Amino acid sequence: MGETGKEEYKIQSFDSETQKLLKTALKDPSNVDLEKVANIIVDQSLKDCVFSKEAGRICYTIIQAESKQVGQSIFRRSLLNRLQQEYKDREELRTRSLQAWICYVTFICNIFDYLRVNNMPMMALVNPVYDCLFRLAQPDSLRKEEEVDCLVLQLHRIGEQLEKMNSQRMDELFSLLRDGFLVQEGLSSLSQLLLLEIIEFRAADWKMTDAAQKYYYSEVMD
Amino acid sequence: MTGIRIFPLFGQFWGVGQRSASAPWAAAAPRLQTPPRRQRAPKPRAAAPQPPPRWSQGRKRGADGKRRKTESDSSVFDENKYRPSDNRLDSFTTPEGPGPLSRCSDWGTAVEEDEMRTSVNKEMARYPWVFKMNSDSKESTVTVELETDEVVLMRRQKQINYGKNTIAYDRYIKEVPRSHRIPGVHPRTPNKFKKYSRRSWDQQIKLWKVALHSWDPPTEEGCDLQEISPVDLGEMETESVGSNSTESQTSCQDNDDTCSGTPTKVRHVDYQAEGEFDLEVCLGEPLKDFDTVS
Repeated sequence: MGETGKEEYKIQSFDSETQKLLKTALKDPSNVDLEKVANIIVDQSLKDCVFSKEAGRICYTIIQAESKQVGQSIFRRSLLNRLQQEYKDREELRTRSLQAWICYVTFICNIFDYLRVNNMPMMALVNPVYDCLFRLAQPDSLRKEEEVDCLVLQLHRIGEQLEKMNSQRMDELFSLLRDGFLVQEGLSSLSQLLLLEIIEFRAADWKMTDAAQKYYYSEVMD
Repeated sequence: MTGIRIFPLFGQFWGVGQRSASAPWAAAAPRLQTPPRRQRAPKPRAAAPQPPPRWSQGRKRGADGKRRKTESDSSVFDENKYRPSDNRLDSFTTPEGPGPLSRCSDWGTAVEEDEMRTSVNKEMARYPWVFKMNSDSKESTVTVELETDEVVLMRRQKQINYGKNTIAYDRYIKEVPRSHRIPGVHPRTPNKFKKYSRRSWDQQIKLWKVALHSWDPPTEEGCDLQEISPVDLGEMETESVGSNSTESQTSCQDNDDTCSGTPTKVRHVDYQAEGEFDLEVCLGEPLKDFDTVS
């Protein structure tokens, strides 16, 4: 794997030994400790938001490689169980480090987006992902711009899919978001804007309308 | 928190209608940088449906051939966790769910089950005229005669996976192409879609796996067959008295691999080539208890 590979999987942030390990995992998974690889990936994704945004990709590739080479799913299983561990302790994670919490949510949503089972999203992740988003929609989180930003980003990426899996919870989530937008004190104007945009986005069936594009994303000529 | 419905007086707060350059709001309001890119998951490359997963758990040997430690011997769907005295079913179905859910709480297992369930459903979807689940059964007499209970199918599939996830099976199918198989001589995978009693099915599986041992690779430890324990009928679930001899009951005991010498498979096998579901045979053969492995 040359530079494009590194770029694609965003593994530049790892030290060279780890990069080597990951590259081997991608090409020859039966010859590495896949549980270790899974842990390395999760650890890094909690530290590096750039990595966590696209880590689903490298995970997908390793899973496919393992399945093809040995017909097993050790990596996937280790990855998911580690993800579950972090999920169970997410409140502590958030208290300990807001950044790590945001990275975690980004990561789990990315995994949900990329990893499929027979072309269907993973059922087991639907409620946990919702739980994370609901947490981000709580008053204390809405007051933090980074959390609002994370929330709307994830909804942009996976909202439509998530809604298909469970529309009731999406309705409830957006109830919270509307309430937050209207009533919540301490929201920055950027946060308000973000919330308004996502509310409109969903109302337009998860599509960007020209009007919304113009309003939210165009330069204002003075 | 119950929402307080406030209807903003448009125009008053947001300056709607004043969307000109001079609107104070427009000048003051932050703009978003770029629209978030919608990431799409890559489409799976393979055109063929995914084969059911291999179960590394429960294998006595790891992928490298070394024996595993005992803790990891517990099977993926270790129904031994659910003690026979525990009256709880080991699976349940919720109305909005996709199907029976195992009472397992870890994501790894949940996803593996998910995968197996969808694989089985895909198999069945290949023959919609046979597996008409929701339509009148008067139209299709075949539906009545086939096993369609998802719980049963998944348990059987798991047992089949155990047998196929062996080096012996790998060597067998390489050596004997399907077209060259001689019934009565060459082992054939039991057909999970046929109606059999629990006892009958378990017996078929055991005999099938025993037969596959003929293709075990030679090992330094000597003859593989010596480690095979005799079929222990006592371990098999007994059917409740008076019930129809069909697999309607869920069981707490799983079909353990009693043949400790079974080497695990390292290579991937294309299930499609194997083709478990033999429709002609399924429809043509009379239903009787299977007494020989054919």
